[in-house]
Amino acid sequence: MTIDTSTPPLTLRSAPELLRARAEVVDHWLVEARLRTALCCVVFIAVGAGAYGAAMGWWRSPVQAVFTAVKLPLAILGTTLGNALLNAMLAPLLGLNFTFRQSQMAILLSFTITAIVLGGFSPIAAFVVFSTPPLTLATTRVSPEYGFLQLTLTVFVATAGIIGTVKLLPWLRRWTNSLGVSLRVLFAWLAVNLLLGSQICWVLRPFLWDPNRPEEFIGPDGLSGSFFETVFEALHRLIVN
Amino acid sequence: MNEMNQTPPQMQYTPPQPVEDPADREPVNGVASVIECILRQPKRIHNALRQPGVTGVIGSMVVVSLVCAIIYGVVVGTFSGWPQLWIAPLKIAGGLLVAAIICLPSLYIFACLSGSRARLVEMAGLLAGLLLLMTLLLIGFAPVAWLFSASTNSLGWMGFLHLLFWGIATIFGMRFLSAGFAGTQARSNAGLNVWALIFILVCLQLTTSLRPIIGKSDTLFPGATEKKFFIKHWFDSLDSETNSTRKNNND
Repeated sequence: MTIDTSTPPLTLRSAPELLRARAEVVDHWLVEARLRTALCCVVFIAVGAGAYGAAMGWWRSPVQAVFTAVKLPLAILGTTLGNALLNAMLAPLLGLNFTFRQSQMAILLSFTITAIVLGGFSPIAAFVVFSTPPLTLATTRVSPEYGFLQLTLTVFVATAGIIGTVKLLPWLRRWTNSLGVSLRVLFAWLAVNLLLGSQICWVLRPFLWDPNRPEEFIGPDGLSGSFFETVFEALHRLIVN
Repeated sequence: MNEMNQTPPQMQYTPPQPVEDPADREPVNGVASVIECILRQPKRIHNALRQPGVTGVIGSMVVVSLVCAIIYGVVVGTFSGWPQLWIAPLKIAGGLLVAAIICLPSLYIFACLSGSRARLVEMAGLLAGLLLLMTLLLIGFAPVAWLFSASTNSLGWMGFLHLLFWGIATIFGMRFLSAGFAGTQARSNAGLNVWALIFILVCLQLTTSLRPIIGKSDTLFPGATEKKFFIKHWFDSLDSETNSTRKNNND
């Protein structure tokens, strides 16, 4: 693979270039895998996901907005760091000859695109929050406004996640010259990131609102149970009852 | 006419030989090189195992495997806290070593039955590589396992999660072993597949014989006095957890 060395480095002004994700530009960033590029990605994630988190938390209060603005980027960066070693080992084992730094850079760039898209969605999310009936003492977990907000904000996050992931696939394909290998690596990375990411989000909850508690960065039940246990128990209740 | 009666010359078909990367022939020296090779250039390890003086490579693989197993064991032990923080690493590292020692003779026998020309030391090296790759991947899963250990009180869920991680690691380890086995002129993989099943069953039974690994117990090896098949042990553990959850809910 030939790399154009005249490609500009990733800077804070490179958001449009990152979203375009032209192969030769991204390949250059991947080959170099510089610390400066990684730091730029971290800033993008902090700003993009932070802005979206602030819009989410605003429904409850300004304090919750600050907490969620910190927690959402933390969840993304925590997932990247926590799975760094595993993702770097899975890549060569599945046929993608990436170095440790290159695999981290690929995942970080993908998350950065997700965060930039989330940042772009944040004014819309803020508008949705603004248009939703405000939180009152009468609001419960089954209130329609809470359900609507949960659903809408989750759809935005899922859309941004899908865009970030879809952008990653052609890069992997260029490096492997095989759709099968790139799909295997992408699926493996997605699976392990989903496993850890969902549990980090579980620990950092609430992102929106907990009716039984005041605003807290991490609730007292943060380290009790797991996301998958709760889903399994809910399914079990549905089937048994 | 005579020319017509002559049989045509037999064309000898020689299948195209795979082009070998010269880098795969380079020697493997040192622990870092062993780790790098098993992840990126497994063929280099396979070739190194066929060279004389291979015991250093095998020794490095076994030592790194044990260190990785001990580190993962500490993570497993965080679920119950002290004294499992030292008991779990000991049992996991010891259990893996025992499983490898128990299964090595049958691996060699199945290899010979399959027509393989590998020596016992090469088979030992492949088995050490299997352990190394398994335990390296377990180290990769360690942060995920630790987060769940710190979050949940469910023994059943943690048991499932550790088994899932071990299963994934074993699949990759078996791929390494299978690729090495293919290079030993074995005629079929049937023997290796049977051996893989035996190895998995031995490892699973060892988790029951060495119990408790995740949970706590008053004695170090209750499995020494109360023998159980691993499936029965799993169902017993799930039943006792369901009963205790019901009791807590009723209270």
